[in-house]
Formats: sequence, C-alpha cells, structure tokens
Amino acid sequence: MATMERTKEAINIEEICTKYRPIISFRVKKSLGASTPEWEDVVNEIITNVIEKLKKGEFRGESSIGTFIYTITSRRIIDYIRHKSKVLKHTPEPAHYPDPQEYIENKERAELMANAIKKLKPKYREVLYLYYYKDFSREEVAKKLSISPRRVSERVNYSQKLLKKLI
Amino acid sequence: MRNCKFEELIDAYLLNRLTENNKEKLEKHYFDCPDCFNKMVERDELISIIKSKGDIIFKDEYVTEEAKGETWLEKITSFLTPKQWAMAAASACLIFVIVFGVIPNLKTTSPRFFINEDMVRGGSITLISPVFETHVFPSQFEWKKLGENIEYKIYIYDNGDVLWQDTTKENFIVLPEKIKKLLSGEKYSWQVKAFSPEGTLISVSSKVQFKINQNK
Repeated sequence: MATMERTKEAINIEEICTKYRPIISFRVKKSLGASTPEWEDVVNEIITNVIEKLKKGEFRGESSIGTFIYTITSRRIIDYIRHKSKVLKHTPEPAHYPDPQEYIENKERAELMANAIKKLKPKYREVLYLYYYKDFSREEVAKKLSISPRRVSERVNYSQKLLKKLI
Repeated sequence: MRNCKFEELIDAYLLNRLTENNKEKLEKHYFDCPDCFNKMVERDELISIIKSKGDIIFKDEYVTEEAKGETWLEKITSFLTPKQWAMAAASACLIFVIVFGVIPNLKTTSPRFFINEDMVRGGSITLISPVFETHVFPSQFEWKKLGENIEYKIYIYDNGDVLWQDTTKENFIVLPEKIKKLLSGEKYSWQVKAFSPEGTLISVSSKVQFKINQNK
C-alpha cells in the first residue's frame, strides 16, 4: 500500500516536472535573460526544490499547483538576483555556450519563420513591422495604418495563425 | 472559443510594457493556464525572430522606404493628428471669413442723422463717373442718389479753385460745351455736395481727380 502510494506520488511528481519545466524555464529566462549562463542551473534548482517540497507534503492544496510552483520560482529568481548583485557585481559574465544541436535547430526554425513572414500579405507584414520591429505601440500602429487598435491585434493574431500553417 | 482575459496582456508583457502589478498577475496566471503559456511562447518566438531578423525580412519594403526618408507630405501630415488638422482647417476658414467677409463690412461709416423720413445726414456720396483718366469726354457726371428731394451741388476744381459749379436734383449733370472745352488735357477734380430742401448740407463726396485726353 505504501509502495503504491509512493509510486503514485512519483508519477505525479514526474508529470508535474514535465509539465512545468518549460514554464519555469520561460519565466527564468525572461527574468534573468536567456544569455545568462546559469539560467538552466536555476531552473534545475527550482524543480529540485519543488520536488522536495511536494515530497515533504508542503503543498496542501490551498492554492493551485501552478501558484505553488510560481511562488517557489519567483523566490528563487529574487534570491539569485540578490546574490548575483552582491557577490558577482564586478565579475565579468562568462560567455554562454548553447548546445550546438539546439543552436542549429533554433537557427533553422528562425530561417523558416523569417521566410514565412516574407510570404505574408503586405497588410499583415506591415503590422508586424511596425508593432514588433519598430516598437510602436498598438495605438500608434493603428493611427499610422488608419485602423482601430483592435484591428491591429486581430491582424497580429491572424498573422500568427498563418505562420503556423506555413511552417 | 472564448479567449482568456489575460491573452491581451501577452504582447505588452513580452514588449516590457506592462506595469509591475499586471506583470506579476500574468506571470502567476500562465503557471496555471497552458493556453496562455503556449500563446506566450509562440508570440515570444515571433517577436524574437522579427527583432533579430527584421532588417532582412523587411529590407525590400519598409526598411528601404525608411532609408529614403519620409516624403515632405508624410512629414507634414504626421505633424498633426487628423483631429488637429480638422481644427486647424476650421480655424483657418473662420479667420478667412472674418478677414475677407466681416471686417470689410465693418468699416466705420460717418454718423448718420435723420432730418426727416426721406433724408439722412452724414451719408457719403459715391461718385460714379468720371473717376480716372479717359480719352472720351463723359456724356454726364454721375453719382449715387441719396434720396428724394435732395439738391446736389456739383463743383469742378482746378488746382483747388472752383472752376465751375451748378445745382441739380438729379444724380447726374451734363456739362455745358464751354466747360467741356476747358477741361481737356489737364487734371481736374470734382465733388458733389447734397442739401436738404431746407438748405441744410447733409452730405459731401470726396474730391475725385479726372483727366480727359480727347486728342489721343
């Protein structure tokens, strides 16, 4: 009975890790910057921490599991930034060497995406150009193109759908 | 399919335009909402690629256009918003109407005093003909009528001295032949004064110069 309970727990923890690793990674990369070499280490530390807390039964279901993991992630990020700013303030950043396989895959995908954007109709391309490349606000883009701000969002969303089909 | 209310914050989050409060809310939310998280990842990829490869993606159109610079028309039109342009146009129209429509009609007129029902004192007499240099002797000297029963005195001046004068109740007068002969070639001026039946001066025209070159 105890073994079954442990197995169930192990499966759940594994599922949770699989599900939340990309989310934690995204959050960490956004906060620390993807070029920060330790971001993967920070993610691993967070997941280890989550597993430990789950095993200790610290998650009591008072909030969602997502919120529970979000809180652990946020705390670790704050700790990292504090520590970094105290200890490594004057130390140069070591260069980040991405995984070669991952690098090639990302590069190929970026090429595919860029070509797909070129194939979009001008009315979609111009919105992407002004909104993302030129960094204009949604209202500014709307004014420049004489359309409503809502229409700007619609065109961006539709562009995204078209790109998914093209790739 | 109904969209999540946090979806519209995704762009602002990725473009660092969210307030700290909303940023925290969205970050907390996407830990619980796989749909929003997936959309966020897709949008993040799109933005990263456009930011890093935009100069290549858009080089044939917008980037080149930008390098050429805005046209003078674009510069002018982007200077103000359409609403501001409309206001400026309306103001310009208003000024145009005031300057060319209202002000000319507001020019000060001499004070007018009513002598009786028909007569008004103070109105000026407008001389009609002759007013400039002419080659043909006018058949008559003419001015605008002021009212009924008004007597007009016409004066012709030569260097300020009265050369000839006459009286009429019409708004024109035919000059006698002997005066016509005198008036050829030199510059003279003429003036009309209006009098009420009681002999009160009610109006005076300005002195207008004329010259008749009958030999040419």
